[in-house]
Amino acid sequence: MSPPSIAQQLAAKQREISVAEFFERNRQILGFDNLQRALLTTVKESVDNSLDAAEDARILPEILVEVSKEGEDRYRVAVTDNGPGILRREIPNVFARLLYGSRFHQNRQARGQQGIGISAAVLYANLTTARPARITSKVEEEEAAHVLELSIDTQKNQPRVVSEDVVLWDRPHGTKVELVLKAKYVRGRQSALEYLKGTAIVNPHARIVFVEPDGTRVTFERASTELPAPSRETAPHPFGLELGELGYLLKASKRPSLVEFLTKDLQGVSARTAREVVASVGLRTGDSPSGIHGEAQERLLKALHDAPLIAPSAEGLSPIGSMLIKRGLRNVLGELKPEFFAPPVSRPPKVRGGFPFMVEVGLVYGGGLPSDQAVQILRFANRVPLLFQQGACAITGAVSNLDWRRYGLDQKGGSGVPVGPMLVLVHVASTKIPFTSEAKEAIAEDPELDREVTLALQAAARHLRTHLSRKSRREFAGDKFAIILKILPKLAEKTSQLVGKPVPDLTPVVTRIMDVVNVESRLLSDPKGVRVPVEITNYTPRARVLELFVEVPPDLFANAGFSPAPDGTDAALGRAWWTLPKLPPNGRAQVAISFPPATDLDTNDLDWYVAGIDEAHVLGADPLPGDWDVRLPRTIVEAAEQAAADAAAGGGTSEEEVDYDAAEASAHAADEE
Amino acid sequence: MPPKRARTPPTKSEEADAPKIRADALQPTLDLAAQIYGQLANGEIPRMRLPLRTKQNIAFQAREGVWKLGRALGTRSARKLDGALMLLRTFYLVDFINEMARDQKTSTLRELYYISEGWEEGKFHSEDESNLLIEDLEVLCERLREEFRVHPEENGASVIGDLTIRERNRKGIVKKINCRDDVGDGGYSLPFNVEKEKIEFLSTNAKFVIAIECGGMFDRLAENGFDEDQEAVLVHLKGQPARSTRRFLKRMTEELKLPVVVFTDGDPWSFRIFASVAFGAIKTAHLSNYLATPSAEFLGVTASDIENYDLPSDKLTDQDVRALQAELTDPRFATADWRAEIELMLKNGKKAEQQSLAKYGLNYVTEHYLPDKLREMGVL
Repeated sequence: MSPPSIAQQLAAKQREISVAEFFERNRQILGFDNLQRALLTTVKESVDNSLDAAEDARILPEILVEVSKEGEDRYRVAVTDNGPGILRREIPNVFARLLYGSRFHQNRQARGQQGIGISAAVLYANLTTARPARITSKVEEEEAAHVLELSIDTQKNQPRVVSEDVVLWDRPHGTKVELVLKAKYVRGRQSALEYLKGTAIVNPHARIVFVEPDGTRVTFERASTELPAPSRETAPHPFGLELGELGYLLKASKRPSLVEFLTKDLQGVSARTAREVVASVGLRTGDSPSGIHGEAQERLLKALHDAPLIAPSAEGLSPIGSMLIKRGLRNVLGELKPEFFAPPVSRPPKVRGGFPFMVEVGLVYGGGLPSDQAVQILRFANRVPLLFQQGACAITGAVSNLDWRRYGLDQKGGSGVPVGPMLVLVHVASTKIPFTSEAKEAIAEDPELDREVTLALQAAARHLRTHLSRKSRREFAGDKFAIILKILPKLAEKTSQLVGKPVPDLTPVVTRIMDVVNVESRLLSDPKGVRVPVEITNYTPRARVLELFVEVPPDLFANAGFSPAPDGTDAALGRAWWTLPKLPPNGRAQVAISFPPATDLDTNDLDWYVAGIDEAHVLGADPLPGDWDVRLPRTIVEAAEQAAADAAAGGGTSEEEVDYDAAEASAHAADEE
Repeated sequence: MPPKRARTPPTKSEEADAPKIRADALQPTLDLAAQIYGQLANGEIPRMRLPLRTKQNIAFQAREGVWKLGRALGTRSARKLDGALMLLRTFYLVDFINEMARDQKTSTLRELYYISEGWEEGKFHSEDESNLLIEDLEVLCERLREEFRVHPEENGASVIGDLTIRERNRKGIVKKINCRDDVGDGGYSLPFNVEKEKIEFLSTNAKFVIAIECGGMFDRLAENGFDEDQEAVLVHLKGQPARSTRRFLKRMTEELKLPVVVFTDGDPWSFRIFASVAFGAIKTAHLSNYLATPSAEFLGVTASDIENYDLPSDKLTDQDVRALQAELTDPRFATADWRAEIELMLKNGKKAEQQSLAKYGLNYVTEHYLPDKLREMGVL
């Protein structure tokens, strides 16, 4: 007998790989490569499922996450939600069968897609503690909840029901997943708590309660009752289509003709383009889709890629939206009392490789954020926080490549993650996120994506720069006010007393020291409404004629009341302006704007401008931008010309003297350093 | 051995500007107040002009051989927050010293700092600030701080050697003290006031004065009997020397005609100690002809000593290097010898303590190092 051929030998080794083996080999990409990560991944997969389920059912999510210690390196993770519940017959497959899911073939944005996540967690629990998963689920139309204990048959990738019961559950619908697994509980940057915090920021419509092993209870309250707009399923776009997928779609299509297949089962193909494409590859418009095979498919796909197609639709995307980003950040970071929340930036949807995507950025500065550490980057992909592989992520790359020094932040050499009391949130939404690996921890570099993230960061950073420059002007003003209000009166009192004479009138000195017109606005909120009173004080040594302008968010303008009545308005742009009465030195004027009760407004939302004076002599407002195109009264135009002439002449007082105390301080620093 | 000749001070004292409290001592402070009051009443932003006390603004006075303040002026104006605060403090201070004069009280610098707790916005943030302001006032009013009745805490620089003085102590009793025979091992402690009305020099057999940076070395020389063997007065500088120490050294040179040599560590900071003894400190340049001893000479440890004596050394820190570089732009060090010394230290990158001489035994410094160096300098 001749020895078995090599082919026979190889054939003898061929066999089905069990899911247990698959798991072992892919621990890392599945997120279970160490004990600390296993816990985080388990929490993450359960919570992602809960959020997706609630969103699909248009329910405001309520999620309870409990982690408790069961023994050495052994924890119980229980996640309970108020989602629609899962039908009894689906429970085993959803939780105890890998690669089973409802979303894989959908072309829309969702957290989970592959149908691996939660089953992998169940498998991990089974493998490490030999304990089955315990699933409790109730749907609204049934009286009681089903409780199933499940394990996975690792040879066949089939669910095994270990036990089953029916119980009364005091909630109309929902699901609870309990797993006992080998794990390690930590706090810090890559922890369950951090993941839930991130989740709460980008899902302000969810209420999340977290109970840690030591009993600590952390609650992320709901900051919005608005559900995110549902993402719709869209047909695939030829740009993102691989040959195999096209074949699958052709075979499965029920369309009677090829043209109908192209225009209806795909997106972006007009009827005319469809006819031209079909003709160009030598097929007939009426051919049956399922009759196209082999090389004809290949020609068809190539012709489609070369054809003038309509860009993919962004309907499959579910961005967070600027309003909710702001609320989410405020809600979760509120206790740090940041001094500045930049208006969030939402870029318009763009397309890469046939898939739509869009980028959103939020930026928070100051308050309790640490000022001597690298800026915190919160990365999100389709509303899921990314906690690992920060260095390898395209988002981090875009943050590092931006020269933040131009926006007022410290950054060594103008690249790398900047240092400062700042947190930046970047959310990438797409029907297909280009992850660096199956572990979905970092987004891969991509020129189009990078460009969008950079543009969004720049827009947010510009707001930061404006804020910082206003702040430094405010501090400068603060110094001046300290001089005239606190120091000068005492200096006058002390010297008068030493020379035995009456205290002189300080007005001329005060206006000389200040030499600015101060525009000070406050924000007062009470049950009757939100009021913004503004006081304009002329702290310059001469009389001033000024025009004051305000820009209000246009959507708030219709409900705003102005007192006195403005001399002009532009409701579409949210603008109003007043010619102020002539202000003598130390003279002041007031205007006020009022809004309905509970208007969501902060002082940063109103921009104040003045005309009739040069920039250097104004505090609390900016000079009127050139593009406002408002016809100014003649007196204001003349005042502005006079101010410009004075400024050009050097403002009258050119101080070229050496500041004694500054010279001393710098000499001291240089010498003693 | 040559016969010992007791030196006695010249009968006509050449002492310069000894501080006595003048009848009109505080008038200039009131003039300052009147000046500011006038500005306020005229609607002008209050301001004062002061000579800058920086190294760019000190000038060598060939006649006196010391560095004094130059002509560059800076402005302290209420236009800026810091300036306004310093102006306000100035008049709290003026008020306070006038009050002390009425009540016949004095205050230490440290007490002054605490007194300012009651000055609201004018409160000092550090003792440095109050010390600098007192100096500003000295410059502006051309008075010494003692005339403002403000003085440092007793810092007791120590003296050992055959020097006989007469001190009027705190009880008004006049005591004759020989700084070798009438004192303990700690030596004679200098009071903060070392002026003639307080301390008179009677006689000395010493040939020179050696001013020493560190206590350990001072003790070593005392224990080894260096003052007797070499007929020296030992003065412990205690780091950066206080005004009274510098004044005492100057009086010994001027009145007893004793040369002064300065013996410090070999590092950039010790160079500055020497400079303040010999040339006058930048911060007190307005008092240089009262405090500086231009004839004082630097003995060591020099950068070349570290090499020649193969002394245990440390590497210069970044801070040391910056200090040396700053000294290269300091006009007081702008002589060929000092530049060479500083550049050598930078080149070798090493510094050494005085006490590293103990490498060769406890007697080495008094039996070899100092006699060698002093002979080289022509003092012995």
